[in-house]
Amino acid sequence: MAESMRSSRGPSLTPQLWERFLGGERRACAQVITKVENDPDAVPEIRDRLSGRLGRAIRIGITGPPGVGKSTLTSALARGLADGGNRVGIVAVDPSSPFTGGAFMGDRIRMDALVGDDRVFMRSLASRAGQGGLAPSTAGVADVLEAFGMDRILIETVGVGQAELDVMACADIVVLVLQPSTGDAIQSLKSGIIEAADVVVVNKADLPGVEMLLQSLRFAFSLGAGRPGTNATPILATSAQASEGIGELVAELESQASDLVDSGRHREMRRARLENEIRRAIQTHLWASLERAVGASAKIRRHAEELTLSGGSPYPFIRRACAATQVCQTKEEAWQ
Amino acid sequence: MNEHPIKVVVAKPGLDGHDRGAKVVARALVEAGMEVVYLGLRQTPESIVAAAVEEDADAIGLSVLSGAHMPHFTKVKALMDTEGIGDRLLTGGGIIPTKDQETLSALGVGRLFGPGDDPSTIAEYIKERVYARRAAERN
Ligand SMILES: Nc1nc2c(ncn2[C@@H]2O[C@H](COP(=O)(O)OP(=O)(O)OP(=O)(O)O)[C@@H](O)[C@H]2O)c(=O)[nH]1
Ligand SMILES: [Mg+2]
Repeated sequence: MAESMRSSRGPSLTPQLWERFLGGERRACAQVITKVENDPDAVPEIRDRLSGRLGRAIRIGITGPPGVGKSTLTSALARGLADGGNRVGIVAVDPSSPFTGGAFMGDRIRMDALVGDDRVFMRSLASRAGQGGLAPSTAGVADVLEAFGMDRILIETVGVGQAELDVMACADIVVLVLQPSTGDAIQSLKSGIIEAADVVVVNKADLPGVEMLLQSLRFAFSLGAGRPGTNATPILATSAQASEGIGELVAELESQASDLVDSGRHREMRRARLENEIRRAIQTHLWASLERAVGASAKIRRHAEELTLSGGSPYPFIRRACAATQVCQTKEEAWQ
Repeated sequence: MNEHPIKVVVAKPGLDGHDRGAKVVARALVEAGMEVVYLGLRQTPESIVAAAVEEDADAIGLSVLSGAHMPHFTKVKALMDTEGIGDRLLTGGGIIPTKDQETLSALGVGRLFGPGDDPSTIAEYIKERVYARRAAERN
């Protein structure tokens, strides 16, 4: 079991690296992030090291269709939050090409105003095999930033056709960004993203068509859209480029942040995420044992190939495999 | 060895001109499977190196067509050294006389490419250098 949970690749995480990390050296933070991004085997050790330093930060997802101004808004928000006394981490995800594996990451172009601002740490991530507009390592990278001392972590998703819901799983607050005259309002109602949003921002409010979009959004919400069981979802207009409406948005986010903490919902969300993390790690471990013991993936593939030809039911194989696979050595004490 | 993707920060330093050259290079690197953090126009040596530090980039690629390659490459290289990323590759393109290339190379700047070079050769060069550095780090 131990091998699969130990780091094997690349330069190891030396005590000096951790010392530099805890001393607040930005390059050390960047190097730990690289490790999380590229070496899943190193994650358990990194998580051990981060313990005691997680649990306070508020994670804010910024999602919405391509080109609506997510990066520009993220930059303005980061400044606003930093001016309010926060240290701010940014994780901006861009799509990887499914063909070459490469990625063009252009979010920094819109974040020039943050250059030299050491209250902010910004990192770009390619989405790689990730689904739903995020990279597989997004949550882990946010953990590193939080342990590095960030109070607010902004997570900009890929600008996918329909705003993606997966960001809910790793953000405490979800900001949906739209722009005038793109028919986004109607689109997003279809995709159910409205229910996921804690704040809706109509950006590019300097362009024509803002009023119409605001009206159709208000209409949609009056029909009962919005996250069930919460207060009416606020709809704000901004012009990120001109830093207009940013103060109001920062105030709204900070008020939601303190509500989350005061009501215990923040702790509740963290518990749910930890539960998931644990379950997933154990599943991965169990699956790895099966691979080692019987070469499970290859066997499954062979059965699937046969079934494709024969048209048979997969259940005879599933029943046999399950009957022969029992977790019989586990000791309940170890699970206490 | 399963190599993770190479990360490159691409920028056009200086206040002049356009970033067509930088974009061509960026696209070629993406085609070659690299993760390119594109900074675009009007970058200072400080902003370029600060981004490379946060991104933990394997390489920095600069496009300098203005003729001001000496100050730009020299300053970026010096900052890379003081910021602790002197082991990372600095490369790029421009119209750069052999004599200048030699001077920069003596400072530790990598190969520089001209407008006649196929952008894919830059990608090949970056791969070779970055894989060599990673291999050395593993040992
Ligand atoms: N008119 C106007 N343009 C804006 C505003 N905010 C951003 N833009 C412009 O919109 C374009 C896209 O901005 P980004 O911030 O890159 O948008 P994005 O949503 O991050 O884009 P992707 O990450 O590619 O999906 C840029 O040309 C910005 O300058 C705004 O408030 N008003
Ligand atoms: Mg963006």
